[in-house]
Amino acid sequence: MPDETMPDNTSGRYPGYDVLAKRNGPSWNDKTRAVIDRRLAIDPEDHRIFDDAAWRTLKAVCDRIVPQPPKRAAPIPVAALLDRRLQEDRRDGHRDVRLPPIAEAWRRGLAALDAECRRAHDRPFHDLGPDQQDALLRAMQEGRLDDPAWEGMPSRLFFASRLLPDILEAYYSHPTAWNEIGFGGPASPRGYVRMGFDRRDPWEASEAKPGREDVAWEENRRVR
Amino acid sequence: MDDMTRGAASVPARLDQRPTRPARGAAWAVAGLAALSAGAALALRRRARPQRRLEGPPPVTLRVAKDLNRSAALLGLAALADSAVEHYRGSFHNPAMVTPLAVSTAVIGVSLFGTLDDRPRAHAVRDAAYGGAILTGAVGTGFHLFNVTKRPGGLSWLNLFYGAPIGAPSAVALAGLLGFFAERVRHTRPGEAPAKAPKVLGVPAADALAALVSLGILGTVAETALLHFRGAFHDPAMYLPMVVPPVGAALLAGTVLSGNGRPAMASTRAARWGLRATAALGFVGVGFHAFGVHRNMGGWRNWSQNILNGPPLPAPPSYTALALAGLATLSLEEDRRHAR
Amino acid sequence: MSGDRMFDDPMPDDPMEVPRATNGRAPDVFREGGWVPMREHSENEAVDFAIVGTGAGGGTLACKLAEAGFSVVAFDAGPYWRPLEDFASDETEQRKLFWTEDRLCDGDDPLKLGDNNSGRSVGGSTVHYAMVSLRFRPEWFQSRSKLGYGADWPIDWREMWRYYQEVERTLQISGPLSYPWGPKRPRYPRRPHELNAAALVLAKGAEALGIDWAPTPIATLSSPHGKAPPCVYRGFCTSGCSTNAKQSVLNTWLPRALAAGAEIRDLAMVGRIETDRAGLVTGVHYHRDGQWRFQRARNVVVAGYAIETPRLLLNSATDRFPDGLANSSGLVGSNLMVQLNQAVWGSMAEEVRSYKAPPSLALTEHWNYADDGKDFFGGYCYMSQGPLPIVWARTLAGSRGLWGEALMRQMERYNHQVGLKMVGECLPQERNRVTLADETDRYGLPVARVTYSYCDNDKRMMRHALGFMGQALEAAGATDLWEERDDTCHLNGTARMGSDPATSVVDADCRSWDIPNLWICDGSVFPTVGGVNPSLTIQAIACRTADRIQALAGRGAL
Ligand SMILES: Cc1cc2nc3c(=O)[nH]c(=O)nc-3n(C[C@H](O)[C@H](O)[C@H](O)COP(=O)(O)OP(=O)(O)OC[C@H]3O[C@@H](n4cnc5c(N)ncnc54)[C@H](O)[C@@H]3O)c2cc1C
Ligand code: SF4
Repeated sequence: MPDETMPDNTSGRYPGYDVLAKRNGPSWNDKTRAVIDRRLAIDPEDHRIFDDAAWRTLKAVCDRIVPQPPKRAAPIPVAALLDRRLQEDRRDGHRDVRLPPIAEAWRRGLAALDAECRRAHDRPFHDLGPDQQDALLRAMQEGRLDDPAWEGMPSRLFFASRLLPDILEAYYSHPTAWNEIGFGGPASPRGYVRMGFDRRDPWEASEAKPGREDVAWEENRRVR
Repeated sequence: MDDMTRGAASVPARLDQRPTRPARGAAWAVAGLAALSAGAALALRRRARPQRRLEGPPPVTLRVAKDLNRSAALLGLAALADSAVEHYRGSFHNPAMVTPLAVSTAVIGVSLFGTLDDRPRAHAVRDAAYGGAILTGAVGTGFHLFNVTKRPGGLSWLNLFYGAPIGAPSAVALAGLLGFFAERVRHTRPGEAPAKAPKVLGVPAADALAALVSLGILGTVAETALLHFRGAFHDPAMYLPMVVPPVGAALLAGTVLSGNGRPAMASTRAARWGLRATAALGFVGVGFHAFGVHRNMGGWRNWSQNILNGPPLPAPPSYTALALAGLATLSLEEDRRHAR
Repeated sequence: MSGDRMFDDPMPDDPMEVPRATNGRAPDVFREGGWVPMREHSENEAVDFAIVGTGAGGGTLACKLAEAGFSVVAFDAGPYWRPLEDFASDETEQRKLFWTEDRLCDGDDPLKLGDNNSGRSVGGSTVHYAMVSLRFRPEWFQSRSKLGYGADWPIDWREMWRYYQEVERTLQISGPLSYPWGPKRPRYPRRPHELNAAALVLAKGAEALGIDWAPTPIATLSSPHGKAPPCVYRGFCTSGCSTNAKQSVLNTWLPRALAAGAEIRDLAMVGRIETDRAGLVTGVHYHRDGQWRFQRARNVVVAGYAIETPRLLLNSATDRFPDGLANSSGLVGSNLMVQLNQAVWGSMAEEVRSYKAPPSLALTEHWNYADDGKDFFGGYCYMSQGPLPIVWARTLAGSRGLWGEALMRQMERYNHQVGLKMVGECLPQERNRVTLADETDRYGLPVARVTYSYCDNDKRMMRHALGFMGQALEAAGATDLWEERDDTCHLNGTARMGSDPATSVVDADCRSWDIPNLWICDGSVFPTVGGVNPSLTIQAIACRTADRIQALAGRGAL
């Protein structure tokens, strides 16, 4: 399946780079293939922890925190990755006492966000325009939200310790995000050879320097 | 982010681009190796050729010269492969990095030509190539020294380990020198009989060669020592090149350079065996290094990394090349002794 | 937890579900699907030593005690991995190495263990540590009398120097040929690694500011050793090393321990240490294969790391020891010390690609050894860094509050970013402590509550380090600098050693003052942490403890 995926980053900083092109080469071991295959097989609409209302809010939040190019053929299913994490109850090993356990924090935080929205705009979060959504998220980041629906959980802490890190973890666990930033991706048994400044192995992403985009494109197509 | 939405349609048109530098480097290496194997095939056919001369066996000098050509070819081959791999690793970031590839390919070519050439004359093309190799080696050493000293830490162990290898360019120079000697040993002025004790720059060729080969071996040992030290001598076999080639070099120097006295047969025989062992070590070493590549993570399946990061496959044959030159030197020496 | 396993067919050999070290064999960490023989001990017969935790402290001690001829059973709550087959090159999946069960954090500066979380694996946190292997500065063993802060260790540095060497040999440390700081030390067993660009930035910055730097002494092979290949510079070290180049407790001390007759029980969570009426420990209650079991033992060693160790001691309270075991001083759990892990980040015009190679290939210990011009006690070193994408994104978000387009634009510069990160000495404070929370874990055991607040000295050190690292980064050519101010790493203290039962929990031999057959041997026993990563010192202490136990046994004083 991964072999058929067309890289959607035909331009940008690493044009044509697709970390999945290395899937069958020496940079990936069996365990990695199994893990990433499972991740890529996640249905973007699959949600078992979040109810439909929370799901819509969550998806809208993700779109603002990690906006994706509108033309991206297969957007990273950030919300579904997060739902999957909660299904498996993968915790952090540390938790600020002011926060409830991860699933409860998310449930409460999303419900509170919706409540704030309805109070301020009389509409659910996912119905707002991007600017209004951003303004609310910024208010949360700055700890200015205090609807009773938060049930004592500080909105700023929820934003800084749950919402932001959890969404980023989901997004950057996906190969498409690695393509975007030119990360080498999985690397075992084969690691890397060239370590100095401005050195890349032929199996690494090539950065498009101004005027040399074609070179980068071509080098990236040869990454295996 | 914005331009990520630009259409993909225009992009595939760019596919027909020139190969990039590393690719060009690899192409060079491949071309060189191809030329070389063709040459080697020719060389093997050599014996099948009918003797052109009617007046009996060729003089010793010609035989020795051809032997030296052969060892120059082998050393050139080692230098070619080594610089190809190392400079590929360095992504040919400086265009000058193709020079040793071109020059050592030329050395291989003219050396093979030398092994096929029965005329007792130096040849301008060969001399030019050998001279070029000597020059390249000298300049390359300068480049490498500069590379090492400009890194943070300057002339430190770390930079000696991982900076441009100081000793590597001398392999090209050595190949050139061996070739240069081959030409001098071979050369007879028109009308003169081949010299019984040829001279190079006024020094008896046997003496000069013995010194060159011994020093060459010792220099190579020094480089091996540095790299095996970097590898913490993790395998006892890594001490072999610390022992065998120096013994071979010492025996050679002892036999040939031991003043005017007549060296005993025994010493010549010992030197011959020492050099044969050194030559064999070159082959065995490749085997060890191949095993080393296998022992790294992913083994040969991960060749694209391990050829570069594992023990260098082309390095050990330098010993074979130098030992062959040493054996040729011994022939010259014996000839000189018979003349006395 | 790993991947989406719960939706697949159950795997026949899932090390997270079914214990592997059973039936007289344990996994061979060097071969996929391989096994090595393991001696097993009966639960009813008291073994000489039951060790809780198989990390830097417990694993090392298990090996040394077994080699000394004692019968040893070592327990670990975590799985027994075979790195070659179990480790993916993936940040998310490899969180399976962490202790992910909640601990509650409070105080003025609640800890965010994040990716510096401790481990839950056979081999402990060393399975995902960054392998930096540094010795203490000699004066730190007497920081109270020599430098005027903290507390003295009851051990002389010269003795430690010997044990450091033993550990360095075992781990085949790669290090520089001469180390710029401190008393002369023997040559490291392996040569230094080539520096990556991130490390070269550190070197350039140090040279520009006129201070020494060095290739980091590091526990990953620079040449093959035994069955382990050298490092391939894949950079996933803190997600576990799938090549075995990393020299962790899992692939160094433990194979030796097994060969010497120790038994290791994986997926075995110790919930309580049993004591008898005489006030001696008699064994441990542990949970394995779905049930609580009991192992009798003549001695118990706790080596669960600085949070789980006090938690277990506190959870083992009895009528006779109402405040928990070994706690007559009231100090079990207190004096928790993290290390400062602040960083300065910037951007280079060149590509750096710091995801390649182990993250910290160069360091400077200058401010550990220079005492002039400091307005704080203690020292710090700083190192080059190589964060993988998730860690990096969370760092940007956490320190700069970036999200949306602003974050995406920064993330695009991933391959150009570069940073210097400190490991700084926090002072011991009694108010920083591990206690028990009301919440319980899946076994019904109260979880730890971790309270942390920096003191003024900590904050002054932070300011100094951030300022200096900023200068260094700038001097190396980085631009757009910014500071990461809230990261911490490594956990120590909570059961400090000392020479007075009133002010310490264990003596110099890691034996608890209160219960002569209860020992504590891990990072918890540190009276001070110094400005270097702790695992080499933890292992050196464990080696020393084994020697001391042998000596004590020899004269019938066990
Ligand atoms: C990301 C990271 C990077 C690090 N990098 C470095 C570095 O570069 N250099 C360095 O020196 N140090 C480093 N460290 C720190 C180092 O790993 C630890 O200091 C060291 O491993 C601690 O040793 P320990 O024996 O105290 O505990 P651990 O090694 O953590 O071992 C404790 C073990 O006990 C087990 N355990 C705990 N409680 C129980 C129980 N009740 N029952 C059964 N088992 C239990 C746990 O599962 C765990 O396996 C790093 C740590 C982390 C997290
Ligand atoms: S960089 Fe080296 S030590 Fe780190 S994970 Fe890779 S092979 Fe292991």
